[in-house]
Order: sequence, then structure tokens, then C-alpha cells
Amino acid sequence: MAARTEHDERTDTSASPPPARRRVRDRVASAVSVFGELLITAGLVLALFVVYSLWWTNVLADREADRQGDTVRSKWADGPGALDTKDGIGFLHVPAMKNGEVLVKKGTDPKTLNNGIAGYYTDPVKSALPSDDEGNFTLAAHRDGHGAKFHNIHKLKNGDPVVFETKDTWYVYKVYKTLPETSKFNVDVIQPVPEESGVKKPGRYITLTTCTPVYTSKYRYIVWGELERTEKVDKDRTKPVELLG
Amino acid sequence: MYGWIWRHLPGNAWVRGIIALMLILAVVYALFQYVFPWAEPLLPFGDVTVDGASAGGAGAGR
Repeated sequence: MAARTEHDERTDTSASPPPARRRVRDRVASAVSVFGELLITAGLVLALFVVYSLWWTNVLADREADRQGDTVRSKWADGPGALDTKDGIGFLHVPAMKNGEVLVKKGTDPKTLNNGIAGYYTDPVKSALPSDDEGNFTLAAHRDGHGAKFHNIHKLKNGDPVVFETKDTWYVYKVYKTLPETSKFNVDVIQPVPEESGVKKPGRYITLTTCTPVYTSKYRYIVWGELERTEKVDKDRTKPVELLG
Repeated sequence: MYGWIWRHLPGNAWVRGIIALMLILAVVYALFQYVFPWAEPLLPFGDVTVDGASAGGAGAGR
């Protein structure tokens, strides 16, 4: 073993250029290799960020949304009753999105939405509540990451039901218009009478907003619906027919 | 860089391997727990609301 090392070193020395030039070359080589390693590291960190954005934030948000949803459900356990806005006003059911139920709370700031829930607008245009006689119930939720509750918004077609469940009422909306791409500055889409969707008269509307294309937030995707009917919640919370299929 | 770290880890190859693995896990944990949550709001991937007031998209209502 020792003899072989000695032999290797001797061959090595005899084959190499003079020590001074070799030292310079070694230094350049090690600088290049450190630079290369930094580039590889940066690539790995970016890949990890994608994993974080598209997977880990969903894990965290779904866990938090389940917890908050359970809180609301347990408060509702005593049967139908008056609206209570503190922990969330209710659950959104959109069969076409195949995402179960989405808790809806007040506000659309990132901190609220990052918990895997949908928020109703308070700014720049204040949302109406479904129980109001007229107005637009405007919601926002993430398309990707943080629960991605509106990921499948593009699967919604005209006529699809959007059902909102509060403590004492099922609100059944029907989609009548979708807008696949609009500017993020277009606040007209969430006006009480969203004229961009073709309606002129005040009514009971629902508006879903999220970002598009998928994985970016360059534009906004909008879906409008109009209230078709309401159903009182019975003591077994029997679902409306739209949710049974 | 990584070669330098490897040479400065104590123990034989197995011990070094285990320490290196723990270092990697610590770095990944720090990234997921602190760095990414900090960096995410600075990047324009998570805005889902319409917001006309703030031209830069930096409004409180995002």
C-alpha cells in the first residue's frame, strides 16, 4: 500500500509541469469548480422551491383548512342557525372543480388565502353576502399552491352549479359566463352588477376569481354565476340535488 | 467547495456520509421553514385577486 502510493506520487511528479505553474493552474481549476458547484447548488435550490410552492404549501394549507373547517362544522353541530362570520361564513361546493368543500372567510389578503381557503372581497370592491337581497358575492382563492382550491376553475362551464352552504341555507348558483383571461387591474368584474358578464340589472350574483395561466399570476380567470334558488338546511344537512350526483 | 467540506468532516466514510446527510437535511429544513416563506411573497406567482388601486400590484388587497 505504502509502496504503491510512493510510486504513484513519483509518476505524478514526473508527469507534471514545474511547481509554480502547477499551483496557478490548480488555483484556477479550484475556482472554476467552486463556481460550478455554486451553479449546481442554485439549480437544486430552485428545484426545491418548485417542490415547496406546488407541493409543500398544499400540504400545510390543506391541513390548516381542514382544521378551520372542522372548527366551523363543530360550531354548526347544533343544527341550522343564524349566520356567524367570525370563523368563516360557510363552504363553497363546486362539483365541476372536484375539490370537495372550500371554507370561505372574510378578506382576500395572502395570509388568509394561504390557509387553503377562499376569501370574499373587502377591497377594492366590497363583496355582498349571499343572504343579501341583491349584490355580488365575490370570492378569490389560489390556483396553485396553498391548497390550490380553484385549480380546476377552467373546468367550469355555463350551467354548472356552484353551491354555497351557510349554517342555515344552501345557495344554489348557476354559472352563466366565464372570462378566461383579464387584467389583474380589472376591478369591474367584481362590481355589484358585473356588467362585463352581460348583466344589466341588480341581482344575486357570485363571482370566482383566481390567477391564470396555471402556475403564474399574469392574468385573472373569472367565473360568474347567478342565484337560482335557495334551500333551507334541514337538521340532517341533506345536500341539494346538485351535490348528490 | 463540497470536496473541502467532505475532507473536513471527521470520521470514516460512513460517519462522514451520515453527517453530510444531516447537513443536507438541515439546509433543506431551513429553506422550507424560513427562506421560501420569506421569498414567496416577493415573487409574482401567488396573486389571485383583482386589484385596481395599486398599479404595482402591491396593494393590501392582493
